[in-house]
Amino acid sequence: MTAQTLSEKLPTTPPTAPRASDRWWHRLLDRRFLPVAGTVATLILLLVGGQLRYSTDDRSFISMRLFSNLFIDNSYLLVLAIGMTFVIISGGIDLSVGGVVALVGLVIAKLLENGAPLPFVLVVGVLVGTTMGALIGVMVQYFRIQPFIASLAGLFLARGLANLLGKTAIAIKDEGFASLASWKLKFGERPDIWYINLSMIIAFVVLLIAVYLLHYTRFGRTVYGLGSGDGGQAAGLMGLKPGATKMWVYVISGTCAGIGGLLFAFYTKSGYNLSGVGMELDAIASVVIGGAVLTGGAGFVLGTFAGVSVYGLILVICNREGLEIWWNRILIGAILLGFVLLQRVLVARRR
Amino acid sequence: MSGDGTATSWIRTVSRHHLFWPVVALVALWIACGIVSPGFLDIKLVDGHLFGQLVDIARNSVTYMLLALGMCLVIATGGIDLSVGAVMAIALSVSLTYIDGAANGESVSTALTAIALGLAAAAVVGAFNGFLVAGLGIQPFIATMIILVAGRGIALAFTGGQITTTHSAPFKSIGSGFVLGIPTPLVIGGVVFTLVALLVRRTALGMLLESIGINRTASQMAGVRSRNITWLVYVLCGLLAGLAGLVYGAPTMAADANNIGQLMELNAIMAVVIGGTKLDGGKFSLAGTIVGALILTTLDRAVIIFHLPSESKDLFKAIVVIAICIAGSERLRGQLGLRRVPQVPGPPTSPNKPVEVAA
Amino acid sequence: MSQTSASAPVVEMRGITIEFPGVRALDGVDLTLRPGEVHALMGENGAGKSTMIKALTGVYQIDAGTIRVDGAEHRFHGTAQAQVAGISTVYQEVNLCANLSVAENVMLGHEVRVGPFINWPATRRKAREHLALLNLDIDPSSQLGSHSIAVQQLCSIARAMVVQAKVLILDEPTSSLDKAEVAELFTVIRSLRDQGVAILFVSHFLEQVYEISDRMTILRNGKFVGEHLTRELPRLELISQMLGRAGDELAAIEAGAQRVAREDDESRTPLMTALGLGRNGSIEPVDLELFAGEIVGFAGLLGSGRTELARLLYGADKSDSGTLSYAGEPIRSAAPLASLKSGVAYSTEDRKKEGIIADLTVRENIALAIQANRGAWRRIPAKELDEVVARYMTALNVQPPNPNMLIRNLSGGNQQKVLLARWLATSPKLMILDEPTRGIDIGAKAEIQRLVVELAAQGLSVVFISSELEEVLRLSHRLVVLRDRQKIDELANGPEVTSSTVLEIIAASTTEHEEGAA
Repeated sequence: MTAQTLSEKLPTTPPTAPRASDRWWHRLLDRRFLPVAGTVATLILLLVGGQLRYSTDDRSFISMRLFSNLFIDNSYLLVLAIGMTFVIISGGIDLSVGGVVALVGLVIAKLLENGAPLPFVLVVGVLVGTTMGALIGVMVQYFRIQPFIASLAGLFLARGLANLLGKTAIAIKDEGFASLASWKLKFGERPDIWYINLSMIIAFVVLLIAVYLLHYTRFGRTVYGLGSGDGGQAAGLMGLKPGATKMWVYVISGTCAGIGGLLFAFYTKSGYNLSGVGMELDAIASVVIGGAVLTGGAGFVLGTFAGVSVYGLILVICNREGLEIWWNRILIGAILLGFVLLQRVLVARRR
Repeated sequence: MSGDGTATSWIRTVSRHHLFWPVVALVALWIACGIVSPGFLDIKLVDGHLFGQLVDIARNSVTYMLLALGMCLVIATGGIDLSVGAVMAIALSVSLTYIDGAANGESVSTALTAIALGLAAAAVVGAFNGFLVAGLGIQPFIATMIILVAGRGIALAFTGGQITTTHSAPFKSIGSGFVLGIPTPLVIGGVVFTLVALLVRRTALGMLLESIGINRTASQMAGVRSRNITWLVYVLCGLLAGLAGLVYGAPTMAADANNIGQLMELNAIMAVVIGGTKLDGGKFSLAGTIVGALILTTLDRAVIIFHLPSESKDLFKAIVVIAICIAGSERLRGQLGLRRVPQVPGPPTSPNKPVEVAA
Repeated sequence: MSQTSASAPVVEMRGITIEFPGVRALDGVDLTLRPGEVHALMGENGAGKSTMIKALTGVYQIDAGTIRVDGAEHRFHGTAQAQVAGISTVYQEVNLCANLSVAENVMLGHEVRVGPFINWPATRRKAREHLALLNLDIDPSSQLGSHSIAVQQLCSIARAMVVQAKVLILDEPTSSLDKAEVAELFTVIRSLRDQGVAILFVSHFLEQVYEISDRMTILRNGKFVGEHLTRELPRLELISQMLGRAGDELAAIEAGAQRVAREDDESRTPLMTALGLGRNGSIEPVDLELFAGEIVGFAGLLGSGRTELARLLYGADKSDSGTLSYAGEPIRSAAPLASLKSGVAYSTEDRKKEGIIADLTVRENIALAIQANRGAWRRIPAKELDEVVARYMTALNVQPPNPNMLIRNLSGGNQQKVLLARWLATSPKLMILDEPTRGIDIGAKAEIQRLVVELAAQGLSVVFISSELEEVLRLSHRLVVLRDRQKIDELANGPEVTSSTVLEIIAASTTEHEEGAA
């Protein structure tokens, strides 16, 4: 054979000149970032639209007050969605979070009713979520049950346990808990007063930890590796620990659900076995709107943050418009459709 | 199960059958119920109508069954349909809203028109799902999630946010009547099951569904019209979900769009999976799906028989699902039967089905 | 060739035995790797090469035997431990995460850190340095999946170098590379060898093994057959050791597949005619005529456009220029089903992804195309199907002869035969065979070659595509030469046409190309 005569420059080796692809703005236009760019664009569109439509001479729509309300109302969703982001990037799904929110709320309410000390109750509440997540993780990782089914069982388990704890809403009357729930920092002057409450602070701390874990640790890279479409084989062959990571992803999501349940209890000051119905969908929708791909392997924590903001803003706008409540769902469905189509177009362009 | 002699090999063969664990679970449940409540297994003929706990269970299982049959076919193509619960609500809202507005709600023709409209609405939603999945190539999980999120809103838009309650004896009879002594829903369920079974097993549809679910590209290269077939299956699933909604809502004649069919998509998927069909797609079992639906309904009933708080049925379901999944998991079987389970047969690059939600 | 064979071995595997339920995959196999040497592991499919590699990399636990690395005995539990001991692997299909960036893939596990944080800019810089050592200048932050397989392969090697591997295992690294890329890869391998890395090279391509390796170990049926210096082992001897057959027998099989005499009837009308058929970014417009009873070989390197052209002819991809006509009738929009109905069959290049339906039975796999042809509603009567299945399974000698086995449990060669049965069952007039003999053992290969000749003798028009130029030359009546997604020549085959004739055509057009560009 005359292989040498055929030898030529590796066609894929470009000349050694500085290339445009190194520039940061080109990196921004990288297709990995495009869905998130879409989210941010939607967010800006909603804000600008709202600004034009609802601002009056003495009151701007875009204000600290708007953002403050947005995250007072959605801090629990943000935390749930962050946990969900880990799971979705790993190529899994966690349907249990809504049930866990209800369970955690009831556990907190029941424990406080029976006079357990507050710090203990808060820790136990979160740990309930962690335990549920660990259970799902064991089913997924050790018994190789599909995440969908395993977390579905988790959902029914959490709801079933919540039902056993109580069938009516239990108001939380504990003073310490009430003061934590209503604690807030006041900013600004009337009528533009805005607040930072404890839920927001917790949610943002969770956000920072998640950014660190997902984007600045080996663990985070393994999560992406799990979602690369081969079930983590490549990650395993690279000497990472895909098995343990898969387990941890569900523990993280469960813990986030536990924290979310706590925040939801702060928000409603009660525990109720029927709360959080469909909340897993809101969380998944926010993550998808935030640019993560449901088959795994792509997505960002900050994208999810933007996704939750879009979600919250739609509710605000529906409210401002005085639309019937069912429009919320239809609109969120429509936005979801829009993002799904966008992702589809991006994938099609890749081919 | 772990026996290694030839004497026990048939046990192993039987226990490996996909229907083994589901049927064992169902029979065990029935026996347990029969022990606690001695009259459980009796079936009586009163006024020429069949009555009994098992008849009730069968009747109640029809909703799950209709949903799960459609779901089973969708899952076979490697898809999933999360919208079925919402489709139930839409179909019922459309039907009852029509009857509510009709001049003579009691006439048979009004009822038939209402049924036709409800089913048509369901089929349209199914076609929309099919378009997203087969036409645009969007992942089924997310494509059908759109209707799951928006569907109840659409149903509420039909009823104007009210719980539409109306009267129509002919319509009501599809949920609570009898045909030749057999509850109408059961007849509907039986007919639908037979039709679906004929449709997939007497034609080549079943094999083609499986081939699409296992390897879509290869099927296309072999000339299989995978788009059309996938689309058809989503329409069928929508249609069956609509029918389930009508049968489910007919006895009460109330279109409570917020609550009807709530979590039904999950129950339907569970019935399919309990019945031994893998969520990855490919091989499917209609008979297993029926067994799955019966297990879920029996669980609902068992809670009452065991004098447990009615709310604990979710807990029950969770335990049964976990038990069946773990009993059927390769890992457990491997530990009981084989010394070593090569989890990756062939080279590490073999195209193992990626563990993902619904691709 | 390297002269360091006297130095102490870096890896010594002795008496390695691995059992799977019912199968002894490896039975007391020895393997010795020496630093600064390229060692080829040879054997047919199922000989135990992959299992051996997995034993060494800790994917499988060994049941008996010892593994020594640098004289110290090891028992690896998982690839991580093997990597720590200095053993890195580059797998057949690139086993990196396509959704991560190049830098992440190269550096994962060895990132530059600041406290508990990964320092991404520094990590990317370091990745770029490592890539530069392999002459690879790509943006480390670009997504790995956006690069060609060859580049991904090199990234894989760069990764192995980051972990400072003493032993580099290359498992079929060249199977999806074209010649130029292979040459580039070999340059890298030689430079690593000269740096003292021990390289274990596994490949189906004998040419490449002889080009790159210093020494080889031969396995057969999970057993050790022998270790030889490459330069001392003639090819025929190697093949007979791999197959366990005498050389003459092999020659007889090869002879059995020798091409038949070609017809030279000029008055024939073509079965299929393509005029200016092309597809943007896939293949430049091509003119082509295919005749009944003739085997046309598509000769060209991987990526030359031969598969792309085949896909256009079958309608698997849509053309965006030119016309296609079949039996005198123009085809408006070609699609697999329509092609199938009119008698065109296409056996795809990628058996796993585009061929078999792994979880269906052999019977169902054979039935698929005829059934698709009839539509979903008219099922083939069971009796009729049984007959068809039995006929083709016998004719093609599918082993084991059980139509109710899942096709996934068959060997590669038998899977290929089942696929051929699928297409033959549709009674095609034109059969396009894309790499029908890739990755299957020599016995099955000869059988398939013989079949191709027989089909043409029965009046079928056959398009034959293979990476092995010799095979194409042996079987084809006419050759269509492709390069760089263009048809560059067409010639009648004959005794005077040899592989170097074709290579010269390809090479000549290369120089034309370069001159044109200059």
